[in-house]
Amino acid sequence: MLKYTVKRLLYSVVILFFVMLIVYSLMYNMPGNYLETKARELASRPGAGKSYTEWLNDLNAQYGMDKGILRGYFIWLKTALTGNWGDSWTWTIPVTLEFHNTVWFSFILSLISFVVEILVAIPLGIMAAKKQYSFADYFTTVFAMISISLPTFFLATLLKYVFSVKLGWFDLSGMQGRDYAELSQWGKFLDVAKHFVLPGLTLSILSIGGLMRYTRTNMLEVLNSDYIRTARAKGVPEKKVISKHAFRNTLIPLVTTLGGSLPGLFSGALITETLFSIRGIGFASYNSMVQGDIPFVMFYLTFISILTLLGNLISDLLYAVVDPRVRLS
Amino acid sequence: MASYNLNEVLKKKKKSETNANGEVKLDDVSRVKVLSPTMQVFKRFIRNRLAVFGSVVIIVLFVFCFLGPLLYPYGQKQTFYKYESINVKFGVATENTSYTGYVVDPSITVDVNANSYMTTYIKELLASGKTRTNKLADDGNFYQVDILGDNVVAMSQRGDVEAVASFGSSVVDVATYDAVTRSVKYKGEELGSDFEKKVASLKGNSGKFTLDGVEYSYRRGTGKNYIISTSKEGFIYSGAPLSSDFEDKAEKAEPGDLFSSDGIEYVVVVNGDTKTAYRVGEARIAKVFTSYVIDLYDNSVKVTDEFRNNALLSAYTTGKFTADGKNYTLVDHDDVLTIYDESGKEYGEFSNFIIRRSNGDDTIEYEAKVHIREAIEDMQDKGLQTSQFTTRLPQQTADGQYAYDENGTLLYDDESEVRVKQTDRNYELWANQVTYVIDRFAAPSTTHILGTDGDGFDVFARVMYGGRVSLMVGFVVVLIELIIGVIMGGLAGYYGGWVDNIIMRAVDVFYCLPSMPIMIILGGIMDAMRMDVYRRLFIMMIALGIMGWAGVARLVRGQILSFREQEFMIAAEATGIKVKDRIFKHLIPNVMPQLIVSATMGIGGTILTESTLSFLGLGVKHPLATWGTMINSVSSASAMAHYAYIWIPVGLLISFTVIAFNFIGDGLRDAYDPKGKR
Repeated sequence: MLKYTVKRLLYSVVILFFVMLIVYSLMYNMPGNYLETKARELASRPGAGKSYTEWLNDLNAQYGMDKGILRGYFIWLKTALTGNWGDSWTWTIPVTLEFHNTVWFSFILSLISFVVEILVAIPLGIMAAKKQYSFADYFTTVFAMISISLPTFFLATLLKYVFSVKLGWFDLSGMQGRDYAELSQWGKFLDVAKHFVLPGLTLSILSIGGLMRYTRTNMLEVLNSDYIRTARAKGVPEKKVISKHAFRNTLIPLVTTLGGSLPGLFSGALITETLFSIRGIGFASYNSMVQGDIPFVMFYLTFISILTLLGNLISDLLYAVVDPRVRLS
Repeated sequence: MASYNLNEVLKKKKKSETNANGEVKLDDVSRVKVLSPTMQVFKRFIRNRLAVFGSVVIIVLFVFCFLGPLLYPYGQKQTFYKYESINVKFGVATENTSYTGYVVDPSITVDVNANSYMTTYIKELLASGKTRTNKLADDGNFYQVDILGDNVVAMSQRGDVEAVASFGSSVVDVATYDAVTRSVKYKGEELGSDFEKKVASLKGNSGKFTLDGVEYSYRRGTGKNYIISTSKEGFIYSGAPLSSDFEDKAEKAEPGDLFSSDGIEYVVVVNGDTKTAYRVGEARIAKVFTSYVIDLYDNSVKVTDEFRNNALLSAYTTGKFTADGKNYTLVDHDDVLTIYDESGKEYGEFSNFIIRRSNGDDTIEYEAKVHIREAIEDMQDKGLQTSQFTTRLPQQTADGQYAYDENGTLLYDDESEVRVKQTDRNYELWANQVTYVIDRFAAPSTTHILGTDGDGFDVFARVMYGGRVSLMVGFVVVLIELIIGVIMGGLAGYYGGWVDNIIMRAVDVFYCLPSMPIMIILGGIMDAMRMDVYRRLFIMMIALGIMGWAGVARLVRGQILSFREQEFMIAAEATGIKVKDRIFKHLIPNVMPQLIVSATMGIGGTILTESTLSFLGLGVKHPLATWGTMINSVSSASAMAHYAYIWIPVGLLISFTVIAFNFIGDGLRDAYDPKGKR
């Protein structure tokens, strides 16, 4: 187990190395004099603090943009490994500080939708599997399909239109109300919570479908297995069959995938956060990407690549932990 | 053996057993008919209601997007215009304060400088409170400026100028001393030996000395000459001395003033301490200057010079004038000169306001002009910045033309609201006018089924063209994914070993690659390069394809790994079939069902990605339509609230398309694998 974990970790590091190489080459090949323009723009900003040449030297020192692509990559890798990610161009503070400022909002938002997703999707999925081909099954199947197929931006706009414009229940975007500063501590919490409702709802609706289908599929698989037939044959009450024999076994793949998606809670919801102006890491990175903020983008891409690899690793390990039949090799 | 076909045999059997009473036997064709695998899949597929729904949606969508534009009259980049009554700045009124000169007598050549100094002369004259002055010009003539009344000034030339006398304290040269010959040459009377002695001792370039109470000054001339001069009071005549009446009047006259003595007119000009009296000839009016602007009742009539000049010159005298053979009367109504024709009808007026249409045309009706002028004067009196009144403006038809009745006379709208707004020195005139404008955000109607967008494009047409792009992107990207994925997966799965290892590591890398952020960055870069829309589309499709092949490769490899060990592949190897054929003829067809399912789902996913990118403004760009850009164009908070009829149908269309592809994919999976547990 330990050996496997170490092996997978080393393996992930290699993958990460190549992923970042691709990302770095993309950045490296930005159109000619893009960096010069950017540095000039940064230097001319109020409170830039650094001159044009300083920005450019900074950049070259950190990213090795003036060296060859491979040498530059290693230079970047070296500085990044020492924990020096530079200053964000868009946010004009150190990248790590901006990360620290934003990531928790993303985490809370994702956590809310994660909990809602589990609470809604698993019971519905099990119900659909229990009564296959019933109306409820059809309904959940169609709902799941819609949920998978809806474009995030359309759902977000639709929710905004209905709940903000037409009903006026929530603000269109942002994280705080107008009178936020005058509210009490509790009031402030409620205010922010209220602003998290629509984005949370968006994320939940979009993620419920996938999990629901997954639950249904696995539950059906379990219900068709021999031991369920045996359980039924020996006269175990149907309730007990479902809750004890079937559900527990359905949990194996569920726990595996859900565990694997845990790191993803930190990766931020790029589009949802942007559309609702939630100052999470998705929002920050989107703005950085659009404005060509290389330091922050490189950091963010590294971060989510690590999260993806971590997710895969966790899910594989969990598989072995939860299901004793599986032996890692 | 090879010709054995169960269906054929059964058919033959059926033919031989012509059953008259229609009884179905146990081995009847309809009971034991054997279907081909494809037919089986198809049958199972059409039994799935959701899948059929999806297929119908996709077929309808294809017809709509690819055939629809052929039948629909509008293009995707066709801008629509409309006539709309909107409140526009239809004219500008300016208070004119500068004087413009009109030639009265073309035979008189006016000095250029005198002409250009007229405005200054008029200002000087108005400031001094006098009404007349004379100015000597460079051409030697005098120009007489006469203020005839408010805003009207006449300029007359006085020729035959002759300087008759200079007076006041004038400096007169009395003698020249030649230092070389030591001789004095007198200009006038001789001044005696004392003077000569003094002169002989002069030094330096200039200086002064006093002799017998008279102050002399000297200056060095050319060579060793000294010119000695003194200032002299009294008149110095260039010709014969004139009478004392002249001298009295000349002394009293201020510069520019005209006086006459003994029937001759003189003007005094001051130059330093010296005054000069000129005899001047008769005044002939050369030009008339005015800050008035003429507006005629009938604005189609052109004002002739004769009419304007005669009117202006008579304005403050008789008030009657003749022009072009007709008699007119002119009445001064405080700030305005109103002209009446012979019958006593109002013919036109002079006022200080230039009232023009926004395009500079002087076509505003007389009555409206009078109303506007009165409104502005009222505003000035009250110190207001804006005012509003009703007047009569020409009626307009729905397409912006003027409306005429059957006799061809203009129709007027009596109750036209005009708003006057002061900006700096101008007065803007705002009124509702029928204008030709881009038909932006038109609500759905019979001409535009889904209305128009912010650029005046027909939304329905753009939905069709946008669908083309979206569907095309979906198919092309998936095709790229399939090509790369099948080749890579096929190689990896078939060869195994180090090939498999390398390819699968690449797959791992691409799997881990965060595609959405990379597409956003790519979009940002293409934005910065201001890339052409079609090239962008092309690059985007390739990038999406490259980013997505890993999944296909993994699927193909997994399938092939399991098939490779099966008997039919061993048989294929044993018969010595080429490697290429073994992979592509025997392995890949077996992977096809899985591939088709994943490709169908992939199209939906790609359309989703593309529309998201376009929505963010980083994918396909305006003016090329895609569903994403169409929603993006109304994504701002206010547009979103007002133009729901644009984005809701388009958003639903995207959702329906993706749902339909997913339904088909799901249906195909079930159909291919009926034992599957879904």
